[in-house]
Amino acid sequence: MPDSQELSVRGTPVQMLRDGAGPPLLFLHGAGGAGRWLAFQDRLAKDYTVYLPSHPGHGGSPAAEWIEHISDLCFHYLDLLDRLGLERVHLVGASFGGWIAAEIATMASHRLESLVLIDPVGIRVDGWIYPFLFGMDIPEIVGTIFQNPMAALALAPPDQSIDTLALQYRQGTALARVSWNPYLYNPLLRRRLGRISAPTLLCWGAHDRLAPLAPCGETWAQEILGARLRVFEESGHVPHLEEPEAVAEAIGEFCRLRQGTR
Amino acid sequence: MKFYYFHLMPYHMEHDESSSWVTLSNRHYDPAVGHTLYNQYLDQLEYAEQLGWDGLCVNEHHQNCYGTMPSPNLMAAMLVRRTTKAKIAILGNGLPLRENPLRIAEEIAMLDVASGGRVISGFVRGISAEYFSTGINPTHSRDRFYEAAELILRAWTEEGPFPFDGRFYRYHYVNPWPRPIQKPHPPVWCPSQGSSETVEWAAKRRFPYLMVFTPIKRIAQIYGEYREACERNGYKASRYQLTVNVPIVVAENDAKARELARKHVMWVYNVGLRMHPPFWRPPGYMTEASLRRLLANPPKLPSELDFDEAEREGYLIYGSPATVRDKLRVFSDELKAGILCSGMTGPSHEQTLEMMQLFAEEVMPHFREDAKVDETAGVGR
Repeated sequence: MPDSQELSVRGTPVQMLRDGAGPPLLFLHGAGGAGRWLAFQDRLAKDYTVYLPSHPGHGGSPAAEWIEHISDLCFHYLDLLDRLGLERVHLVGASFGGWIAAEIATMASHRLESLVLIDPVGIRVDGWIYPFLFGMDIPEIVGTIFQNPMAALALAPPDQSIDTLALQYRQGTALARVSWNPYLYNPLLRRRLGRISAPTLLCWGAHDRLAPLAPCGETWAQEILGARLRVFEESGHVPHLEEPEAVAEAIGEFCRLRQGTR
Repeated sequence: MKFYYFHLMPYHMEHDESSSWVTLSNRHYDPAVGHTLYNQYLDQLEYAEQLGWDGLCVNEHHQNCYGTMPSPNLMAAMLVRRTTKAKIAILGNGLPLRENPLRIAEEIAMLDVASGGRVISGFVRGISAEYFSTGINPTHSRDRFYEAAELILRAWTEEGPFPFDGRFYRYHYVNPWPRPIQKPHPPVWCPSQGSSETVEWAAKRRFPYLMVFTPIKRIAQIYGEYREACERNGYKASRYQLTVNVPIVVAENDAKARELARKHVMWVYNVGLRMHPPFWRPPGYMTEASLRRLLANPPKLPSELDFDEAEREGYLIYGSPATVRDKLRVFSDELKAGILCSGMTGPSHEQTLEMMQLFAEEVMPHFREDAKVDETAGVGR
């Protein structure tokens, strides 16, 4: 069982889960992934000290009015590294968390041992418009995100109480503040990906329907110098939920080989 | 009581799709039919003035069959030149939906000057679905609304040029020509769905509050909150600050009116307001407090309203002239609303005109003790 901590990061309250032993690994969750410590994190925690903070406005972290742009979240996480006294980490981000992680890497690759992006969004891809999740009901969202809908159960809300619905609304609001329009990308990010100097692994679900391997994954692989691309054949947009063992294994191995090499 | 004729300009149609908003394909829109409809609807509004209605109302909605008036200012412009006495109430312009809200200040001033001061300017946020059709971030809705309203009011009342440096809107030169003819500016109304933040904002500025298509119990509750807010701000609300909007069907007897209401008014709720659920609740459009208030007592979706319920709850009024008079007493005497905004729908254009005439002759004269009062004096500014 991970510890749950309440932190103040330059005045912004954060709830964070932490477990494991070994080199530090910061995991940035996607929409709906706040506070979910699942098989994927458990497996990584065997070899790493895994930190899983909830983004402001998500899970147990209250909304922060000052966050208006994706770069605000990047600075927030650089502040979190300082707060935790971590000079360098393995940075892993999934989907929306992958977007934040990529932005951080364009600004501060020197703080990263390695960078792992799992089906990230965040860049404008020629020939692709991300399907608009905000306009979808739950079955449509599940159909877009998951190849294996059973994996969606891990993220299902515990009930339909007012508190649960209000939390979901708060999370949607925090997400929309930085991603409604332009939807799920920063027009400036793609060109900046060339600045990333941390060794980078891209993990991609072969059946991602939100950000498909072709053209999205392929574009990321072209833009980040020397990035490796690993495709997970049984997965949609969230391979770390759909094939947690295999994805954690691939990430663990990638990070182990890069540990201390920079 | 004052009577305002309210038009949605709907595109009446049946369809099986999950939403009449945002995604209902515009392949269903036949411009030839639209041509006839626009002209009939404008005829109805012009006829309302002849029959004695005090005001004519238009409003803004996007991408739906419920109301085909994406630009209410265009419709107002057509009415300005075809009418002479009636107020032209634009209920309203969706302030946050504009990238350049100074354009609203300019257009309303144009209409006000051209009409000789007959314009009422509604300020709205636009309903939830509008944020899907325009791309505007719904989490900015409230702040953009307040900021745009401040900009427009200053543009109307302060001598230009002056700079404006907001979070969303920035100008080095605010200096619109023309300036409005009404002083200090055209009356501002706030059509809304009853969020406590908007009630407070409107009451503080003496802006009349308008409830659209709301059950009567909730109107009573929100009116109470509005009156309290006015008192907190040091004055007593005039009855012309409280407006109701309810569809009315009047016919020679109750049975006939009931049949017409069942067929034509229920379309507005059951089809016109049918919406894919996510379009009702874009993230951040409501405050969390308002959301919790809503969830604690969730209203029925309009598309699920049945006729008996709609009648019981006061979503519509129908009957013979005598019955309609009795029902309107609830608004005039119990709720003490000063203005009734109401549109009418008959089975055809001609029958709609007849219904309007019946209402004007048999209902309206019974509520005219305030015929000499100017409902815009001292309110809305």
